[in-house]
Amino acid sequence: MNSFSEMWQEFVKQFITRKGYENVLKGLGITVEIAVLGLLIGILIGTLIAVVRVMPKYKTLPRVLDKICGGYVELFRGTPMVVQLLIGYWVLLPALDIQVNSGVPVAIIMFGLNSGAYVSEIMRGGINSVDPGQMEAGRAVGLPYSTSMLKIVVPQAVKNILPTLGNEFIVLIKETSIVSFIAVTDLYKSFKQLGDPTYDYTVPYLMLALTYLIMVLLISAGVRALEKKLKKSER
Amino acid sequence: MIMEKEMALNKTVLSVRGLTKKFGNLEVLRGVDLDIRDGEQIAIIGPSGCGKSTFLRCINCMEDPSGGSIIFDGVDIADMSVNINKHREHIGMVFQQFNLFNNKTVKENIMLAPVYVGVRDLRAKKRKNFFIRLANLFKKEKKALLPLETTEAEIKAKAEENAMSLLRRIGLEEKANVYPSTLSGGQKQRIAIVRALAMNPEVILFDEPTSALDPEMVGEVLDLMKQLAKEGMTMVIVTHEMGFAREVADRVLFMDEGKIKEEGSPAELFGNPKDARLKDFLSKVL
Repeated sequence: MNSFSEMWQEFVKQFITRKGYENVLKGLGITVEIAVLGLLIGILIGTLIAVVRVMPKYKTLPRVLDKICGGYVELFRGTPMVVQLLIGYWVLLPALDIQVNSGVPVAIIMFGLNSGAYVSEIMRGGINSVDPGQMEAGRAVGLPYSTSMLKIVVPQAVKNILPTLGNEFIVLIKETSIVSFIAVTDLYKSFKQLGDPTYDYTVPYLMLALTYLIMVLLISAGVRALEKKLKKSER
Repeated sequence: MIMEKEMALNKTVLSVRGLTKKFGNLEVLRGVDLDIRDGEQIAIIGPSGCGKSTFLRCINCMEDPSGGSIIFDGVDIADMSVNINKHREHIGMVFQQFNLFNNKTVKENIMLAPVYVGVRDLRAKKRKNFFIRLANLFKKEKKALLPLETTEAEIKAKAEENAMSLLRRIGLEEKANVYPSTLSGGQKQRIAIVRALAMNPEVILFDEPTSALDPEMVGEVLDLMKQLAKEGMTMVIVTHEMGFAREVADRVLFMDEGKIKEEGSPAELFGNPKDARLKDFLSKVL
């Protein structure tokens, strides 16, 4: 067993002298790309589902849509993300006869679909937390349900759930570490490659953990700052 | 002057017939009839739980009536197949809890609905013109396009101008760009009232507009409502302010157990109540 300083030197050699950092930066970019775009898709899908699920259900169409959305949420929350990723890549792609050069778009879409299920529940809570009087006032001046929802209720709901959405982003950033299952070189894979020449992963994995930790701390700080700003904007 | 008012009173703005409302097994309204005439101020009083707020909220279908009809602009708006949004544009509503849009500035609160309606109508016209043009390609006799008298920017500018003049009227123009959370209850309610006015409604419904206010702010809201009444705005007011009802209303309705038990001029109703329940009620609140 090598001493830690030897391991560290080997890591530095791989990281700097052999330009391993280029790979790591690329991996970092891909991790962030998947998490950010995944969250955006998730927010979009989640908001749509949440709106459908809180809609009044006098008519048949909202009732049917509600059932579909409920099924969607159960499906994506009831299976592991890895399995969804694998199915997306190995089952859906061949079934739809789509050729891709890299797994990144698949990862983005699958993470988006998955996160949509979680965001929809968060968003539903957010929408329910908005004073019903806001919707009533919108309807009373003649705005349709959808307009009142999108212009008045949802913006306030988003503000209420921003901290929780920040959490979802953190979960997503960390969970993207499974994309190597579909041959995407993300942050994890790029650090792993630094240890591959010597089969000693001690330092690369510790540094990997540190990188994730720093990212998460930065996001938390960013969310807190944003929260403060939003609060101020309505004072 | 009196002649004018009586002439105006002839036209019925909204007429309610046999309105019932049930929440599950609970019968809140048991057949209410009411004609609201142009320029008239109606006050609705009654003990809590008598259905007066529910009745008011049924008038613009915030609560869907269980039975009966509400004729407005020649249409029964209690009918679920009617596009209620179109009709609500012409029925203003002021809430007990103000319900200003928290995510919009004061000015945006007032502009939102007028801009929405203006832009929607403009876009509908543009859509129609598109199809007329499309059809004209295949016709010898070209059909004329619908005239577009305005643009979206113009609609917004007009709505903003109107919002500012409404704010000036209530002396709150310096609050145009602040969010509602910074305002006092009285200011919020006055803004809620001009928000309703911005749509040029044919009637405004007031749901206990001063009940959530600090006592010192009740006056400013009632003053604004008195002004509107003087200008001949048609108003239906659910209120606990008996003094206000007596002073402003042309007609006072006393509701109890989901029905209108007695109605008449303030002088008759307060001076010479006939219904036993009304006598009892008045003895407690006056």
